[in-house]
Amino acid sequence: MIRILLNRLWQTVIVLFGVTLITFLIMHSAPGHPLQANPELRLDPTAVERWLELQELDGPLPAQYLSWLSRLFRGDFGMSLIYNRPVLELALERLPATLFLTVPAFLLALGLAISCGTWAALRQGGFGDRLLGLGSLAGLSLPSFWLGIILMMLFSYGYPWLPAAGMRTAEDSSVLDILIHLILPLTMLVVGSFSYYFRYVRYAVLAVLSQDFIKIARARGFTELYIVFRYVLPNASLPIVTVAALSLPLLFTGALVAEYVFSWPGIGRWIISSTLARDYPVIMAVNLSTAALVALSNFLADLLYLLIDPRLRFKA
Amino acid sequence: MLWSRVLVLIAISFVFLFINGCQKSSEVTNSQILHVAAPASPITLNPLFARDAVSLEAAALLHPQLLGTNPYTLEVEPRLFASWELHADNLTYHLRLREGLLWSDGTPLTADDVAFTLLLICHADYTGWLYPLLRFVEGAEEYRKTRHSPYAQGAIPGIRVIDEQTIAIRLKQVHAPFLSYLTFPPLPAHKLQNVKVADMEEHPSLKNVGVGAGPYLFTSWRPDEYLLVRANPDYYLGKPEIAEIYYRIIPNIEAQVIELLAGKLDLLPTAVKVEDVEMLAADRQIRIHKNSRLVYDYIAINHKQENTPLKDRRVRQALAMLLEKDELVANLLLGFAEVLHGPLLPLHFAYDSEFSQEKGSLPAARELLLQAGYPQFKLKLIFNSGNIVRENVALLFKEQAAQVGVDVQIHALEWEAFLAALTNGDYDLAILGRSTDADPDLSFHWHSQGAGNRTGYANEQVDRLLEAGAAVLDRGKRTELYRQSQALIVADAPIIWLYSRQAIHAASADLHNFAAHPESLFYNVHLWSLAGRDGRP
Repeated sequence: MIRILLNRLWQTVIVLFGVTLITFLIMHSAPGHPLQANPELRLDPTAVERWLELQELDGPLPAQYLSWLSRLFRGDFGMSLIYNRPVLELALERLPATLFLTVPAFLLALGLAISCGTWAALRQGGFGDRLLGLGSLAGLSLPSFWLGIILMMLFSYGYPWLPAAGMRTAEDSSVLDILIHLILPLTMLVVGSFSYYFRYVRYAVLAVLSQDFIKIARARGFTELYIVFRYVLPNASLPIVTVAALSLPLLFTGALVAEYVFSWPGIGRWIISSTLARDYPVIMAVNLSTAALVALSNFLADLLYLLIDPRLRFKA
Repeated sequence: MLWSRVLVLIAISFVFLFINGCQKSSEVTNSQILHVAAPASPITLNPLFARDAVSLEAAALLHPQLLGTNPYTLEVEPRLFASWELHADNLTYHLRLREGLLWSDGTPLTADDVAFTLLLICHADYTGWLYPLLRFVEGAEEYRKTRHSPYAQGAIPGIRVIDEQTIAIRLKQVHAPFLSYLTFPPLPAHKLQNVKVADMEEHPSLKNVGVGAGPYLFTSWRPDEYLLVRANPDYYLGKPEIAEIYYRIIPNIEAQVIELLAGKLDLLPTAVKVEDVEMLAADRQIRIHKNSRLVYDYIAINHKQENTPLKDRRVRQALAMLLEKDELVANLLLGFAEVLHGPLLPLHFAYDSEFSQEKGSLPAARELLLQAGYPQFKLKLIFNSGNIVRENVALLFKEQAAQVGVDVQIHALEWEAFLAALTNGDYDLAILGRSTDADPDLSFHWHSQGAGNRTGYANEQVDRLLEAGAAVLDRGKRTELYRQSQALIVADAPIIWLYSRQAIHAASADLHNFAAHPESLFYNVHLWSLAGRDGRP
């Protein structure tokens, strides 16, 4: 067991190292530097030279990479070239807004998907099942930014009930005000991920329902509700856990599109603008931590498997 | 386990938001708050380090200019400097500050602050873009080259504090545009003289501590969300009418428009789309304002590739004739732009409204191409994708060019790819924009040694004319010299001038006295008012 875990850890470290190296190489293969990211800016060539020196961007690439790596081992993600402030500080500033949007969206979408998916599977081929199937197909096919704009046109412009941008009306807004601002971006996120989870849940439940032990349980006269909670859901949970765990990193990197469309001040928008501005340390830190989160959630999924499936525990 | 952690996280975010919500209840009613949209977050509030438009705008709320320019004539006007005189040597300026100027912490704003700011700009570690403006000050170049101390200390021979109010600046050669350069704000020496120049860009003394002298003072800033500022009671032109400005960062332009229509924004500055103007103007609660600016769009011509027909001046001249710019401005920009035939803008005193290149005459262009021996060739035209106006310009250009035998291939490139193509020179034509100085001195872009001369344009005659233009003080003579250089530059057809777009602002009808300056949105912000809101007079 411990050997498996250690093995996993070792692999993860190598993957993460590879990610940083590839990110670094791709980033620096583009010509120019961050101050040239906007050809319309006014610059003083002597100042640019000094700036590159001060930011330690004038040395050879391998040396730059090594110095980045050595700082990382000391727990330092570096300074943002654009904001001149520590990358970690900038990220932590924006994380609460992102979590406030993505965590409820994740829970809501998953909860709805599990209940609707199970319900639809139990009534396979029925009207409700077909309606939900159609709805989730639509939810998957609609581009999310388009959905966001339609929501905005409907509920901020056509019927001006809800705000179209931002997180609060004024500096001293109440929690209620923030919740009102949350409705549209949350809806946009939930529609997308619900449709995605729903189809997984429905197939997983259908697969379990066709198993012999369900027939036996029914033959023994258990109530449908008992069968669902005692036999169907636990057995269907493996694929659901996989899908859910894989979307955990998205909670942190934020909902890029929703944050842009609804001007939500989260981490996603910062990632986009930093990438466009070629803020090297930010791009490096974001890619590294996203990769780490993906590895971590895979690992979590594995642990959950052990928890859920007694057969795996036995093998391990 | 996992779920309980997730729940804890949610609980933490709620508590966080709740605490924020309870922090402070403002006494200011909504009727005294101006809600302004910004397309991006300011990056720094230090006016000397700001490079992007939003940071410069936001910094202008907090920091007043030393000198300003008139919004219509661009003539230099008093701001913090109330008066100035030029000595008989034509090199030494004596500039006098107003009486009784104060920083917001009560410290007097004196000539020492100005001297400190000038030293800072000339310091070797200063990485903002202002230094080239001061390079004509006697001794500035030497000061920048030597690195004595990490702080803005030492002395520049050409800068001398005479008394609390007066500073003398001596130039090493006559430079007519010099005063128009002094439009940046001073920084508080008493707060920053012990800060290393290399650390100054993000130093908190300009934010949290809030030492400024501008019309507004810093209240709070949530990056990517908003910047809140409050009226400065000691502002030297009088306390602003509007108590607070809530600068909302909304990158999505559609959302900006919707929030304005819903009454949740009072001002969309500068970049309202021409196609939205009609719809917004139809709303009785909204007024459209516009003003000319010191920017223009152009088509860059890459003549550096081998064997390109663009090396031939006649080919470039022919290409410059193709577009019907009047029609383009009327149809594509609905008149919100001025047609441009050369580098002098209508706002410049040297502008010549009679000056125009030959009107889009296709036979003449064809004739030039035949003379040059290029009856038929291909060109690659690039622009950044998503820019609808530039896309239409590209399509029009292609259509016109096809009629004279030039096959223009249009490439709409993603921003990064666009930049890469520009840096690598992988294009023949590229649609770009740029900004110019308030003074008509064209050296920045067109002198062979100009800091902004990226096209590699070099014409000895033009160099001499531009040098002469900066070295005389008489306006009439300068006008003459700049018009001559313009004619020479345009004859070389180094780029294709298109138009100078106006700033279009959409504001709530309640916003009074709004007027934007070609270079600064907030130049008279202390006069703006929101009268008539909530039944107030």
